[in-house]
Amino acid sequence: MTIPMRHGLKILSAAVISGALLLARPVLADYTVEAVANAGTIEGVIKLSGAAPQIAPIEVTKNQDYCGQSIPEPVYLIGKGGGLQNVEVFLKDITKGKALLTDTIALVNDHCMFNPRVQGANVGQQIKISSNDPVLHNTHPQNASTNATIYNIALPFKGFSVTKPLPAIPELIKVKCDAHEWMHAWIWELDHPYFATTGDDGHFTIKDVPPGTYTLVAWHEAAAEKSISVTVVAGKTVTADIQLTATKTP
Amino acid sequence: MAGTRIATVLLGAVTLLIMAGTVYAQDVGDVSQGKVVYEKYCALCHGEQGDGKGHYGEDTTPVPRDFRQGTFKWRSTPSGALPTDADLEKVLVNGLFGTSMSSFSTSLTHRQRLDVIAYIKTFSPRFATEKPAAPITIPPEPAYTAESVTRGAALYKKMNCAQCHGDEAQGDGESADGLTDDWGNPIVPYDLTEGHIKCGDNGTDIYRVFIAGLNGTPMPSFADAISPAEAWDLVHFIQSLSPDYPKNLTGAPPAPSGKGTR
Repeated sequence: MTIPMRHGLKILSAAVISGALLLARPVLADYTVEAVANAGTIEGVIKLSGAAPQIAPIEVTKNQDYCGQSIPEPVYLIGKGGGLQNVEVFLKDITKGKALLTDTIALVNDHCMFNPRVQGANVGQQIKISSNDPVLHNTHPQNASTNATIYNIALPFKGFSVTKPLPAIPELIKVKCDAHEWMHAWIWELDHPYFATTGDDGHFTIKDVPPGTYTLVAWHEAAAEKSISVTVVAGKTVTADIQLTATKTP
Repeated sequence: MAGTRIATVLLGAVTLLIMAGTVYAQDVGDVSQGKVVYEKYCALCHGEQGDGKGHYGEDTTPVPRDFRQGTFKWRSTPSGALPTDADLEKVLVNGLFGTSMSSFSTSLTHRQRLDVIAYIKTFSPRFATEKPAAPITIPPEPAYTAESVTRGAALYKKMNCAQCHGDEAQGDGESADGLTDDWGNPIVPYDLTEGHIKCGDNGTDIYRVFIAGLNGTPMPSFADAISPAEAWDLVHFIQSLSPDYPKNLTGAPPAPSGKGTR
């Protein structure tokens, strides 16, 4: 009698443990979709404080016959009026608002570089990864803080494409191509749609924001991240210009 | 008698609960037993915290696996996915040819291996939050023929395998220099002419690498780039490169030498 009882207790404890594991799953319901009344807009220009560091061009070491000898370093792209391109700007603490994005985002391997270099996305979106190049690329997204591989897809020839889901949990994704180590891209995967990437003039616009006070984050791959407080008023556009400090030196 | 009957009924009810809750409950190891096994056999290289920084791990090439990310090279599951328990046990049974990871086929029982796997899985939070992915489907191996090897050689070119593995498959392709793994450790493309594939010499072992990729390394998944028939041709081409396989062109798969799965 004691043997089955002990066995039973062991199984019971296994049941308790697996129940606890189920409860331990991350709760993603931090954002609720609802109709936005009296929305406002946040816009602004992101600049570097001071002159952009002059970074040497990328020295191409693989497939020089196709990729060329060197590629202009795209870390600090400064446009008209001094705006900084490829800054991801997003709200940090928004819990309700417009619907999440559902279209498929794109990441193109083009002339041995990723395009776009920086973009935002929502959990649940898919990504179409494609290659315009007649050399082997591999698109290898990793968690930016742990470097843990998300997946690693071969793009063995020109015209090849594959569509994959983004991770189920929001994270900053760093994408690399192992075959061409200078190729990098970043995807800010968020659980809400209030984000924008600065264009070549450093400008961004975030629309349909419910009135309220939020933390606005400006992230750049090679600048110190900066957060400011913004207050959105119904029907108005609030300007949020931000200066970032470059972290990469020539 | 009554006590026994109650115990039996209770046991039956609990078992039913388990079956309803977790389909794989019966083959799950015991974490606390696994900790004992781990600290005796694994921690010296993989570290007490599972970070791959054990005392004897410092001088090994490649360095011991850091278990904290849930990133494992040898899997039957798609690129990026967690391994199955069976995948992890396969590594324990076979060891990894050419590395310091030795076989625990005789030094540990099946139950001890399951226990230590259960413990290893506690080092990464992913195992608690992600479901195990379904293993990839591997169709039956077609005949190993000269034609299949020839088609595989053409695919080696078409798929640009030479970019890393080199024109002669000796691991010296254009992108071979400067490769790193997820931990920033230098890593070199496999010399496919050496004779043995780390994760096993069987056709299915090699097939899996093409489709699942090797998580944490530059080796990507070709799941969307090649068909199953093409993957088998490529397997046969890779096998034909090895000096340790008899080049058996009568249609039978080459006999594994056994060294790769010591």
